[in-house]
Amino acid sequence: MVDAIANFLTSGPIDEFVATHDWAWPLGEILHFFGMALLIGSVGLVDARILGIGKGIPIKSLERFVGLGVIGFVINLLTGIMFVAGNPVGGPQEYLTNLALQLKMLCVLIAGLNLLAFYALGIAKQANAVEPGGDAPMSAKVVAVISIVMWFGVIYFGRFIMYNDTLLYAWGL
Amino acid sequence: MIDAIENSAYAIWVRESPSIWAFTTILSLHAMGLAIIVGINTIIALRLLGNVPSIPIYSLRKLYPWMYVGFTINAFSGLSLLAANLDNDVHNWMFLTKLSLIACAMINLELTRAKVFEDPLVVNGTGVPASAKRFAIASLVLWSLAIVAGRLSEYPSFVEAWVGF
Repeated sequence: MVDAIANFLTSGPIDEFVATHDWAWPLGEILHFFGMALLIGSVGLVDARILGIGKGIPIKSLERFVGLGVIGFVINLLTGIMFVAGNPVGGPQEYLTNLALQLKMLCVLIAGLNLLAFYALGIAKQANAVEPGGDAPMSAKVVAVISIVMWFGVIYFGRFIMYNDTLLYAWGL
Repeated sequence: MIDAIENSAYAIWVRESPSIWAFTTILSLHAMGLAIIVGINTIIALRLLGNVPSIPIYSLRKLYPWMYVGFTINAFSGLSLLAANLDNDVHNWMFLTKLSLIACAMINLELTRAKVFEDPLVVNGTGVPASAKRFAIASLVLWSLAIVAGRLSEYPSFVEAWVGF
């Protein structure tokens, strides 16, 4: 499967573009950091409010910023694909077999399913009904904790991608 | 002085320890702190610019301590990373630019608190001082440039190729 994804990623112009334009990688990183801040600022802040931080802020209104988080996510998906496809050392295989990147993707997946559960199970509706100053229901708090842990997990393992050996060493792998 | 700091037991541990808690976790914490302070600032700025008016501006003042949580994480992690790589960093003009931008952003953050969040109009929920939008735009520009400078400080040869120094 790794080979199939790697072949797909290098079948387009991305890897050659990254290799021939020295600004592509630094610019991608800048955008990746912007996307991260947008995601944490919007989704992370809704989670924090559900957990009781800034209780005067109406949850329903704050949730309108989640669209910004989606924009941040798309920016990071696109720049992330660029990093994997255009990896100058070892190509996509090097990244796709990288434990830190795999754990990062696992965190993204769990965060995504968690978000799906938040809306599909009607938990968002309950959270939105909470008045300013009010306490969110326990189900919403569980979703919020999972969300925060997963998104910060994404950042944590994201930074480990370049230092994957540290992770392997720590876990005796 | 620079040598003494770089060769201190702590700096060596940060730089050279194979421990998962040394360099890489500190680097990760630095990204998390950034996301917290810049993320919260972005939402406050967008509200001050008129987005989602159903959020009472005064209710956002409670987020200030959390921006300082992000700032404190990054002051600690940043000083640790700096100690580990001091000689290089103090000669990296893009890194010094980043520090200057952060200083300006923090001053702007406190001015926003004093001039916007303590304004009677905001406290009473009856309006917003005209300066709010200027502070908001300044904060978005300063933090964005700080991120740009922070990333570029990792690519000194790229910067030199494009800027000439």
